[in-house]
Amino acid sequence: MLIFAASDKGGTGRSVTSSNMLYRSALQGTDVCYLDFDFGSPTAGAIFNIDSVVHGTRRGGLHEYLDGALAEPQRIEVWTESDRPSLRNRPPGAGRLVLLPGSIGGGEFPTSRELVERCARLFLRLEEEFDLSLIDLSAGRSYATQMVLAATAMPELRSVRSRWLVFHRWTRQHVLAASGLVYGTRGILDAGARAGHDRDDMMNRLRFVRTAVVDPDSPELEGLQPAQLAWLRECNQDLLELASNNRVGRTMLLGSVPLDPVLQWREQLISDNDVYARRIANLETVEAFSALAKLIVDDAAWEML
Amino acid sequence: MLTLGEVHTGLLQNSGSLSLEHTTQLLDLQVGQRVRRSERPIAYVVSPDQLTGVDCRLPTGSGRGSRGVGTVVSHAAMTGGHVLQGSTYTQLDRAVSNRRLVWSHYLSRPGWVETIGKVDVRDVSRGFLGPTYQPQTLNLGAISARLMDAVQSSARLDRQPPFRTKRTRLRWSVVPSDEESAEARGTFRVESDTLRTLELTAPQRDVPALVELCEDLALHDWLLTTLLALMEASLTGPGTRAQKIDRLRPAIDCLLHLWMPAARLDESVLPVWRDLEHRPGFSRQWQTSVTRIRDQVTLSTIALLEAPSR
Repeated sequence: MLIFAASDKGGTGRSVTSSNMLYRSALQGTDVCYLDFDFGSPTAGAIFNIDSVVHGTRRGGLHEYLDGALAEPQRIEVWTESDRPSLRNRPPGAGRLVLLPGSIGGGEFPTSRELVERCARLFLRLEEEFDLSLIDLSAGRSYATQMVLAATAMPELRSVRSRWLVFHRWTRQHVLAASGLVYGTRGILDAGARAGHDRDDMMNRLRFVRTAVVDPDSPELEGLQPAQLAWLRECNQDLLELASNNRVGRTMLLGSVPLDPVLQWREQLISDNDVYARRIANLETVEAFSALAKLIVDDAAWEML
Repeated sequence: MLTLGEVHTGLLQNSGSLSLEHTTQLLDLQVGQRVRRSERPIAYVVSPDQLTGVDCRLPTGSGRGSRGVGTVVSHAAMTGGHVLQGSTYTQLDRAVSNRRLVWSHYLSRPGWVETIGKVDVRDVSRGFLGPTYQPQTLNLGAISARLMDAVQSSARLDRQPPFRTKRTRLRWSVVPSDEESAEARGTFRVESDTLRTLELTAPQRDVPALVELCEDLALHDWLLTTLLALMEASLTGPGTRAQKIDRLRPAIDCLLHLWMPAARLDESVLPVWRDLEHRPGFSRQWQTSVTRIRDQVTLSTIALLEAPSR
């Protein structure tokens, strides 16, 4: 299955949430791969702690492959090549975790027929090997989004299942922006319809994910003044209303990830070691990632009401 | 003078095994050319040969650059209606002239690449089989992979394979042996979890027989690799015995009956298989794995029979 990760604004935690979700999925025994389609600023290397490709690779990344300079993009097996000890060595029962990095100095490029065909061929080849392929797209309405919409509309890919996740933070601006990215003019649904997808079908295959969400009822907020808490509750209520008025509400929600200090300061994978031994990350965050990893393949969660 | 090749092997993206008739249609890639097929001892279909023109640097172990111009041969093959292979090879020969000639010259020698300038055969063989990444050199694997992609994206397939697995690549070279009557000898190496190399020394009388040997070896290496991967995922993964057995089902359904080493090979290349059977012992490991799977199934049956009926 192909999963496309999109967001309207940068800094929504799209990459870090989707890589953590994928990591949890691999721990659950699924064979997964992560494609860094954020051509302007490849960052996946940093999240997976692969020092040699922190800002993309020089050994033939996705950009060069799509450009036609290479027969196959570079692949990195995270379990063997990560520079972080707690990610090294595949835990028993875990699936494969492979990263396809972007290229250094890549940049966006306009979609062409050949590009779309190469992209489709790559998807088909990954589909042969992996249960889940997550494609991390650049923020906003990008060429990358147009390209993957055109590729998935090709007849060869018709029987390949694909799903879309749109990430947004839990603030007024982000809720409106996410809604605009999906439903607005030249948004994902619009662009999808133009590429040959069915609009309703696309909508059934798209869900929102809220990131860095502060729960007003969380015990961690006990130190706040009553006035502050009351204000938070009010804001949250307003946001819930705003979200449902803009079709970003509960029925279109796949999951939310709580605000975690670790992710605020560094984009990284949260290992069990970070939670249990070092106690720097919250258990709730990891549970949210694990839940997302299960929901993404759970057909019941994708049924329309 | 030197023969180079690369075989890719993978699972056909279809839910069930494809009949001989359907396979023949699937591999009918060129109009007017016959698809070769045989039914015994196992269903086997080969597409017509395709030629690809190349003009590129040759990989070398020493890093010295040399250029090759000519054509490479490739075809797709399917075994048992389940396993798809893309195979590409070419023979290298010293060009008479020191410049590139008109294409009709190269087309008159299909499957030959002529090297321009001085070339050390062993150096090229080392560079071709070596693990170092050499961009912009002769890439036979890319042609094999493209051919497989072309078959896999056919509308005749339902793209619902019984399980997912990686393709394996066997990169091989044949260096001519010094004596004409010498037996074929080979060194097989597992370079990474997907790449294997085979370095052959053989009299180069019969290149098609050598190509068939490499394809046969690639097929059996893939079968073994895939079976071991399925067993590992199934037996080390979480779950009850019944769930584990259930995860082994695709192996029983589509792999176990395909093991038939050296079934169609020419006598002249059999010594290579014989050596590999001696060590590392392909069939030995396969038999042990098959027995282990059958034992697991038997145990689970016994458990079912002993369970109190509800």
